[in-house]
Amino acid sequence: MDEDNSSPFRRMSSRTRKVAPRMVAALANSDNRAQAALARLEALENDNAGMETIEINEDDDTSLDDEDQVYMHKRQSKGTKRKTRQAKALENARKAPRTFAELLHEASLETLPSHVPSYLRAAVGPPSSTSRRHFCTVCGYAASYTCVKCGMRFCSCRCQNIHNDTRCLKFVA
Amino acid sequence: MSNVVVVLDNGGGLIKAGLGGERDPSTVLPNCLLRPLSSKKWLHPSPTIAASSEDPLDLTSAAVRRPLDRGYLINPDLQRDIWAHLFNSLLHISPSQSSLLLTEPLFALPSIQRATDELVFEDFNFSALYVADSPSLAHIYETSRRHVVSRGAAQCSLVVDCGFSFTHAAPVFQNFTLNYAVKRIDLGGKALTNYLKELVSYRSVNVMDETFLMDDVKEKLCFVSLDVARDLGVARKPGKKNLLRCTYVLPDGVTHTKGFVKDPDQAQRYLSLTDGALTSNLGAKVDMDHIEVTEKPEDRKRIDLTKNEFDLTNERFLVPEMLFHPADLGMNQAGLAECIVRAVNSCHPHLHPILYESIILTGGSTLFPRFAERLEKELRPLVPDDYQVKITTQENPILGVWRGGSLLASSPDFEAMCVTKSEYEELGSARCRRRFFH
Repeated sequence: MDEDNSSPFRRMSSRTRKVAPRMVAALANSDNRAQAALARLEALENDNAGMETIEINEDDDTSLDDEDQVYMHKRQSKGTKRKTRQAKALENARKAPRTFAELLHEASLETLPSHVPSYLRAAVGPPSSTSRRHFCTVCGYAASYTCVKCGMRFCSCRCQNIHNDTRCLKFVA
Repeated sequence: MSNVVVVLDNGGGLIKAGLGGERDPSTVLPNCLLRPLSSKKWLHPSPTIAASSEDPLDLTSAAVRRPLDRGYLINPDLQRDIWAHLFNSLLHISPSQSSLLLTEPLFALPSIQRATDELVFEDFNFSALYVADSPSLAHIYETSRRHVVSRGAAQCSLVVDCGFSFTHAAPVFQNFTLNYAVKRIDLGGKALTNYLKELVSYRSVNVMDETFLMDDVKEKLCFVSLDVARDLGVARKPGKKNLLRCTYVLPDGVTHTKGFVKDPDQAQRYLSLTDGALTSNLGAKVDMDHIEVTEKPEDRKRIDLTKNEFDLTNERFLVPEMLFHPADLGMNQAGLAECIVRAVNSCHPHLHPILYESIILTGGSTLFPRFAERLEKELRPLVPDDYQVKITTQENPILGVWRGGSLLASSPDFEAMCVTKSEYEELGSARCRRRFFH
């Protein structure tokens, strides 16, 4: 249903949309969006959601090409303290609990023969029908429209404005 | 020898612990350490049922550390702290003179199994250990209750364990989980709470740090919708016609330290929405009259003055909805009904009719109202016509697994099934584990 509504609408609109070159690049590789979606699912398993999501955002910011140089500069200026910090980080890493994903990676379950039941093979796998209901990220009702910048859903002009003001992840997503 | 058996259902959300042979666990406590705003140290949470909360911690904006991630033990040091507190101050037992029945999630990685064994034998010196998985324990408990009725069917069942960290559909045959047929959805109570947090924080009040508060909101207000499209329509209606709107009052830290549902009657109004359109109209009318009487203009003014509450409408059923359609969240996983069908289909065809007839729901997330009804509604079209679908709900899904463990621990063969400390010392972790058929 939703898919049917949204695609003809997009084709009909004759308005020319100015898109910045960087946006084009961001749109071109859909990996970014997939990564943002994955990060969001990961965030659902966090214990202290508030703090950890902020960290994720910071990581994303530093990977932007504009800020890369600033970031490099910062890193060099910290060079004097580097040794002690690294040592500390290593120490912390040894002490700190590892995530389940790391343990899973270490166990390398992919190498097991295909008839052995394992954590990876117990996952249900993709649904039989690919239809996905879309809910407005602002108000929660059925959403017909997709944000061209970040791919999130909204249902009306009002929600679109709220989305653009607050949530649109232009470059991150 | 050791005759005390400690039964420990080590869940990601709650630890259920007690002595074997008893009906209910003596302690149920959150499996985490807390740091409330008022404290600089990590504190042990108080048990949820045993003590009648002599000094309830103020859990507002408390930070949480959990030893389990996605259901699996990742931080043995933290788990040791929590268990030490549990054994010494809550259960009052000495591990070296007792054996332990411990639940472990299915498909625990070898490294995690080793860490668990080290914890049990080397840190706590238990004299013997038996590791069970929760589906088989839930099955044992259910069969013990209905053994009179039908003995043939009681030998196998399909356990749907929808807990804190994930959801499993596991066929159990003669008290053993058929691990080649188990299917898992990576969604549980924790993800649902976090999803609700995200929705509320974006739409009304920022509650991203309030894990315990939002757990309470989820438990009290969320329900499973039987017809999502219709309920979305209802949730959209303005004012009194909206049977789903419900107000939750946040704690103010002065008069009440716990949040509560403003009007419990209002929270129950969704029950009047039944399948038939006619009856729902009738119900709506009755309810509207009822509300007009109770709602006074003064109440509304008070809402505007103090902004310490928030309304929930469609969030109430869209949150549990994710268990049935994880794809809506962007997860590439099938919903619960399909998960059950796939689990059954991986078993021998002779078992199919019996498995569909004995579906057992266990785990805290099955406590959402109407969970079983919705599941049956989704499952029925997927199951062949000549098979019956029968879904059994446990009277207390949180404790069901523990009760099964308690029964197993009091059975006469239990001691023979255990791995003793001397065996562990001689053979090591991996060899001992073979006894549990992992």
